Amino acid sequence: MSAAVGAPALRARRRRREGGLRAALTLLAGSLAVVYGGCLMYLLLRGGWKALAVSYYAMPKVGVQGEDVARFLLAALYYGGLASLVLRVAVGVVQRAAPALSLPRHTLRNATLGVALLGALFARDHLPRFLLFLPSEVRAGGGVGPQIFNTLYLAVLSTAVTLPLGLGAALYVARFARSGPFVAALRTALDTLASLPSIVYGLFGFLVFVVELRAGYSLFGGALVLALLNLPVVVGIAEESLRAVPREMEEASLALGATPVQTAFRVTLPYAWPGILSALVLSVGRVFAESAPLIMTAGTTISRGSAYSFDPFRGGETLAVHLWYVNSAGLSPDKGDVSAGTAAVLVLLIVVTNGAAARLARLGGPSGPRARRILQA
Amino acid sequence: MNKAVAASPSVLDAAAPPRMRRRGRSYEGVVRGALAASGAVVVVATVAMLGYLTWAGVRGIQAAGLGELLFGTRWRPEEGLFGGAPLLVGTLTSALGAVFVGAVPAVLTAIWLTELAPPGVKQGYRRLMEVASALPSVVYGWLALMHLVPLMGRVAAALHPAHERVGGEGLATASVLLGVMIAPTVLLLSLDALARVPQPLREASLALGGSVLDTAFRVVLPCAWRGVVVAVFFGFARAAGETMAVQMVIGGARQLPSTLFSPTTTISTQVVMDMQNARPHTPEHDVLFAMSLVLLVLSTIIVLFTRAIARGRP
Repeated sequence: MSAAVGAPALRARRRRREGGLRAALTLLAGSLAVVYGGCLMYLLLRGGWKALAVSYYAMPKVGVQGEDVARFLLAALYYGGLASLVLRVAVGVVQRAAPALSLPRHTLRNATLGVALLGALFARDHLPRFLLFLPSEVRAGGGVGPQIFNTLYLAVLSTAVTLPLGLGAALYVARFARSGPFVAALRTALDTLASLPSIVYGLFGFLVFVVELRAGYSLFGGALVLALLNLPVVVGIAEESLRAVPREMEEASLALGATPVQTAFRVTLPYAWPGILSALVLSVGRVFAESAPLIMTAGTTISRGSAYSFDPFRGGETLAVHLWYVNSAGLSPDKGDVSAGTAAVLVLLIVVTNGAAARLARLGGPSGPRARRILQA
Repeated sequence: MNKAVAASPSVLDAAAPPRMRRRGRSYEGVVRGALAASGAVVVVATVAMLGYLTWAGVRGIQAAGLGELLFGTRWRPEEGLFGGAPLLVGTLTSALGAVFVGAVPAVLTAIWLTELAPPGVKQGYRRLMEVASALPSVVYGWLALMHLVPLMGRVAAALHPAHERVGGEGLATASVLLGVMIAPTVLLLSLDALARVPQPLREASLALGGSVLDTAFRVVLPCAWRGVVVAVFFGFARAAGETMAVQMVIGGARQLPSTLFSPTTTISTQVVMDMQNARPHTPEHDVLFAMSLVLLVLSTIIVLFTRAIARGRP
């Protein structure tokens, strides 16, 4: 550094080297962004058309039990998501053009819900064929209807386990635990869980549910295994957001005569809620993405009889597993298209959950709107 | 950090006056008990899981012998040959390759983002990488199967024209795929580590006449090295544990790779594949648990190592 002080030639050489290095780093970062951005765009464009194109003609029923309910739910999600996207963009454009114009507070949400309901009631047979039909093993034209249903249902099941367990453990560690060996054990357990490869969870689920209990492949087993897999993340983020709650607020509540449990549930939890929700949404994203543990616990099959059944003790394939299965064991001639469509639906789900988690995380914390509203009230 | 948190007395307990605590005791006690119970369930589930897998793994080790599992070179469970070396070598080399392919560019990009990037780029880049790190591994696997495998096949044919057992599916393809998969995670973690370096250190270096890059490589990176190393090891662990995506591109040949482009296999891949065929309570079945126990021990070693590094953080 000091050698260059009096030597212009040396300094010029150094500057050139510095410029070259900078350019190289920028190029590297740029190409990385192009690779990942390109992957995302490719995935969305290649399969997006198949997965999202609404059809003019009503799709015939497949004739599987529960199909109507599944179509209703899927249509609500589909049209609701579409309406939310379009309305948001439209409102953004209008507000940029005419900043004085302001919408009443819940108009956007109500409009989205309205469109979702209308779509689910009247246009549920006009969804893309790919989203409605059953998969086909050997012929072209298979869909991923049951897979979408299974994926979402599995997310609900697994969250139903993660939420109480994770929240309870986080609340206990953050607010009620006395320091001691039990907390240390809990932390060690969570650290261990966080470090295990996901295949290990799958093996455990397989050993317990399939081998020992002879229960066969079931969504229930998959949900339990994924809940275990998600616990470290959920407890970690939830604990962090619980600890971020200002002490003054809790002390104020205690000073007013509330008990510690009342304080925890009426003050601490509502304040920390956005952070906790964002952790849950992230864990749902992992449920969408995991494949290895599910192959070993929930199986790789869709049975025609129970394709849309709410029975948690049946086996069922999720979207990620389907993508793997089609490419490693599928025989259908259009497996490239089916994979592309499946991948596009998966990417869409991941983008949506990630966006939701980021939004929720922004709502939390001491400067978020949620905290401000509580402080004003 | 953990120690400090554990040692702090519970806030609500300390703050509540004794009378309040007595009044709502029954209800309070039940809720507190439920919260503690959920913590206990987590501990019990973890212990049960590890214990159960260890128990099954030990049976497999007894059936095959530890030396054979680690150093034997022929993995043919159907013939009673349980040489786990190809699996172990495949796992380690593909993960190591992933670190070279993925982690090094990721760390360099993290440096660019914290030190050189124009303002406004960072947030968008971060968001892109968050989505990329959350993408399902099978999606990466499918992309690699469609586009990387043919490409690598041409490279392999050019490099080893005489070799007949090389092709697009193999060790190098798996390494590149894993590198692409772990890069976003490594990047995000090292970004956090680099952001923790105090600003005055950078300013001091700049004030002494150091250029931005001098500062980045001689001040910021040495300061944040622990965090960066932890990020890289995390990436390594993720690559070593990855299953389905690797299974799609590694070729599934149960042999030690002779070149970079030879098909081979990994522990997790082989476990998933063989588990479908093995009957419970046979040596073939137990040996799979023994191999996954090896994987578990490997990841535990990595975790202990990173924890030791992270503990030294100032």
